[in-house]
Amino acid sequence: MQTILAAPAMPAAAQSTSSPAQPAEAETPKLAETAPDAVAGVVRRFFTAEQWAAFEKLAELIVPKFGDRPGAAEAEAAGFLDFLIGVSAPERQALYREGLDRLNADARKRYGRPFAQVSPAEAKPVLKPVTEAWTYHPPQDALARFLREAKEDLMQATVNSRQYREAVSGRRRSAAGLGAYWLPLD
Amino acid sequence: MAANYDVLIIGSGAAGGMAAWVLARAGARCLMLDAGPLMDYDKQRVMKAVCDLPYRGFGRPGRFPHITQASEFDANLWADEKQNPYTYEPQDPYYWVRIRAVGGRTLRWGRASWRLSDYEFKCGDHDGFGDNWPLSYADVAPYYDRVEPMFHVTGRNEGLPQLPDGKLIPDNSRDPQSVQRFIDACTRKGIPTTKSRRAMGTLASSANLLLPQALDSGNLTLTPNAVVREITVDPGTGLADGALFVDRRSRREYHARASIVVLGASTLESTRILLNSKSRLHPNGLGNSSGVLGHYLFDQFYVKNVVVAVVPEARGGKGSRGLMGGGGYIPRFRNLKSKEKNFLRGYACDFGGGFTPAAKYFPLYGGELLRELEDVADAGFSLTTMGESLPRFEHQVRIHPDLKDEWGMPALHITQKYTDNEYKMAKDSMETAAQLCQDARFQVIATHAQMAPPGESIHELGTCRMGSNPKTSVLNRWNQSHDVKNLFVVDGGSFVSGGVQNPTLTILALSMRAGEYIVARRRAGEL
Repeated sequence: MQTILAAPAMPAAAQSTSSPAQPAEAETPKLAETAPDAVAGVVRRFFTAEQWAAFEKLAELIVPKFGDRPGAAEAEAAGFLDFLIGVSAPERQALYREGLDRLNADARKRYGRPFAQVSPAEAKPVLKPVTEAWTYHPPQDALARFLREAKEDLMQATVNSRQYREAVSGRRRSAAGLGAYWLPLD
Repeated sequence: MAANYDVLIIGSGAAGGMAAWVLARAGARCLMLDAGPLMDYDKQRVMKAVCDLPYRGFGRPGRFPHITQASEFDANLWADEKQNPYTYEPQDPYYWVRIRAVGGRTLRWGRASWRLSDYEFKCGDHDGFGDNWPLSYADVAPYYDRVEPMFHVTGRNEGLPQLPDGKLIPDNSRDPQSVQRFIDACTRKGIPTTKSRRAMGTLASSANLLLPQALDSGNLTLTPNAVVREITVDPGTGLADGALFVDRRSRREYHARASIVVLGASTLESTRILLNSKSRLHPNGLGNSSGVLGHYLFDQFYVKNVVVAVVPEARGGKGSRGLMGGGGYIPRFRNLKSKEKNFLRGYACDFGGGFTPAAKYFPLYGGELLRELEDVADAGFSLTTMGESLPRFEHQVRIHPDLKDEWGMPALHITQKYTDNEYKMAKDSMETAAQLCQDARFQVIATHAQMAPPGESIHELGTCRMGSNPKTSVLNRWNQSHDVKNLFVVDGGSFVSGGVQNPTLTILALSMRAGEYIVARRRAGEL
């Protein structure tokens, strides 16, 4: 896919030297805008408090801060996914809910505490399915299936975040996630 | 009263665009209808950062359950699946991928431009399966010769009988070491390789390479937002006399009149229009006295990333340009001389390197995962299989009894599934590709042989096939209806078989050939 830079309207003076220059106020000014997630925080809507606590913990473990690059926590990836899963198909919602419930149940069984309160070392056996070799077909076990999907979602939600872009911009264009966006058709 | 045009062209992509390029420049007064709007690349595209999109690049969930190609950036370009519904049996999903806009899918095609050979045109003679085309490579070659320069196709001629040489802009670029190693591994096994053949340029579309010159002739009238519902027939002669269409925005109905009708609305849309064009003289759909219209749907199956590997020397940020990047193509090599495998026909592979493999392939998480991803940055090498799917009568489209699209046009029910032959081929391609990577001393990190559902390659073909026998085919060798001599179908619907080659170049060549046939027959007073 090729990318073309947006072409702003040419200033009147550049269009023709023979026509009289338009007064500056006749042009529509280009106003600087800021997307909402840069100015406001997360409102949790979908996960229960306990699922949410486990998910935030999972996010931190799967995608930690790495050098100067933000992790899932800094990128508010879990908060974004609370929104995304909340507007997704019922099967995906069930996968996440059941997966997080399983994480908590597994942690309680092993350590008598919910997943949010286990140490990284204690989390290791619970997260064992993530360390199993990739196969094309999703695993049978619901927890394994959830962890596999959550790992991909958390990675993408982190890398595509504003925080990540700010940390890596200037390094290379593709890493900054720029693309040509097609406006809606009439 | 509105004019009666010489030629009505339905669709503005590769097929319709090329027909207009030939016919309008030869003096025929043409009206082109397209179901979508005229896009303005400067005004309708803006640069954005993915973090500024409402769904962080994930896209709105459920918007495109069948379009794996759609991203949140280009979501507005693809045909909406709710406005344009279709159905399939639940156990056999079909991915129908459409763009409704002037230029059609040439606005976003992969640009791979390969010629078919007599292994395809005479496939029935070669291995006994299916029918030959009613033409041979020699009939189409002169048109390929002209289309390739128009689309600025680059590549390298190899003199292979299964992949005829073209009129190409020579690609003499040096292969990076990793690609050279892979090519050497192929050569040792007797497997041919070549450079990719692709149309070059910022845009390589009907919208910039065909339609501007056609419009410059003064003989082409382009009307976007015209959703054709039915081709109309003169009840006296049984000939096509125009089309009923609906304005996409207002839903107002119109009737356009023409002496000749050329359908280039895409394989399945053209067939859908014909099946919906029923009349007393053509009770089973227009041009369907054979009953074959809608049958023999096929495409090419894809196994995306059939093998993903890492080039060990490129780890740790050592993936320099001399080592990584670039790629190439393995043309079909199976079953050329004799039947050597437990399947018919063969497959091709795209290969290339220089990317960072996805996190999912690594059985790690946390710091270990991120360190590994840093280590393999730009060190990935992968292959994708493109295999021939066999045309079968039972793979077909028919009109849904109840379901209609947003413009009141009856929708399609699509039946296609991959069979044993395709499964065996996919598996062979996986095993072969993995072995080649190992021979090149790459570290294979993932393999699979799971084909994407039919349609996903966006290479749907057939359903309106040509043939010499009017009882078993819809079109003759000139893309002309056997039944209705002033009706032509110039898109992928006419294909009898498809090989492994991306079909656009052949669609362009056949549309050019049909267009010139129409010009000649009009001059002779026969149309």
